[in-house]
Amino acid sequence: MGERREIKPSCFDEIGRMNQQIEYKNVFYPPGGLLLWMIIALELTTFGIALLVMLFFAKEDPVLFHESRLQLNVTIGTINTVLLLTSGFFMANTVHELRQNNRSKAQRYLLLTMLFGLLFLVLKVIEYAAKIEAGLVMDTNDFFGFYWMLTFFHVIHVIVGLVILSTVLWGIRKANQPLKMEHVEGSAAFWHMCDLIWLLLFPVIYLIL
Amino acid sequence: MTKRNIITWGVLMILTVIAGLVSSASIPFLIPIILLLACLKIMGVTFSFMEMRKANPFWKVLIVGYLILFCGITLIALGMG
Repeated sequence: MGERREIKPSCFDEIGRMNQQIEYKNVFYPPGGLLLWMIIALELTTFGIALLVMLFFAKEDPVLFHESRLQLNVTIGTINTVLLLTSGFFMANTVHELRQNNRSKAQRYLLLTMLFGLLFLVLKVIEYAAKIEAGLVMDTNDFFGFYWMLTFFHVIHVIVGLVILSTVLWGIRKANQPLKMEHVEGSAAFWHMCDLIWLLLFPVIYLIL
Repeated sequence: MTKRNIITWGVLMILTVIAGLVSSASIPFLIPIILLLACLKIMGVTFSFMEMRKANPFWKVLIVGYLILFCGITLIALGMG
């Protein structure tokens, strides 16, 4: 009997196998996973309907909604869009580097992803503080009711996304821990979903009313 | 870092800056332009960053269909339909 060798779990082998197995052209295996895409569809539908309800309220009182919208800071909104999209860019690169079995680069990109996500939250806190100071709170009028509800709900998604990315970072850092690419892609899809929600909210709330 | 991701990010930045600039300008078809820019950004994120270009056509049709529906209802709600 030969000596039995214990094979240490390797995240890279695991990642390599996962890449070969996933057939994205199959309708049940979209990149990020079917379950995540069901959640994304649900979230985009919910936010989409809420925005459309807001637009129908605006139709009832266009002057109030327009004047309220003018009190929002478009520059902060634009910078926030840049921050989230840049964060999404680094997330896409994290996934790419992990597929190339490059853990150190992936870790660096994931940290940058989280940094830009945190900067988004910092700017959001500054924006919220200015609104509260100006007395523009949830019960000021219908516009600010929608503004607070929709943007705050999005902020909660970003916070949850950062927690999920922290678990991915923890997995990448543990060298002897198997890391399934499926999980990384699912986490990335959730993070990109935060971008998508913001890309719907920003033009409607900040620009067109 | 892939060339595709870098190009996508560059295009997204340009579209974001254009949206920010035109929003304060008084030009015709402002709202449809802003919505179009938002749709292009969403398609950039989904098809490039989220790699949905590799997905089954069902998902691509679903994404584009959602955007057409959302923009269509938005324009109707704003009295532009």
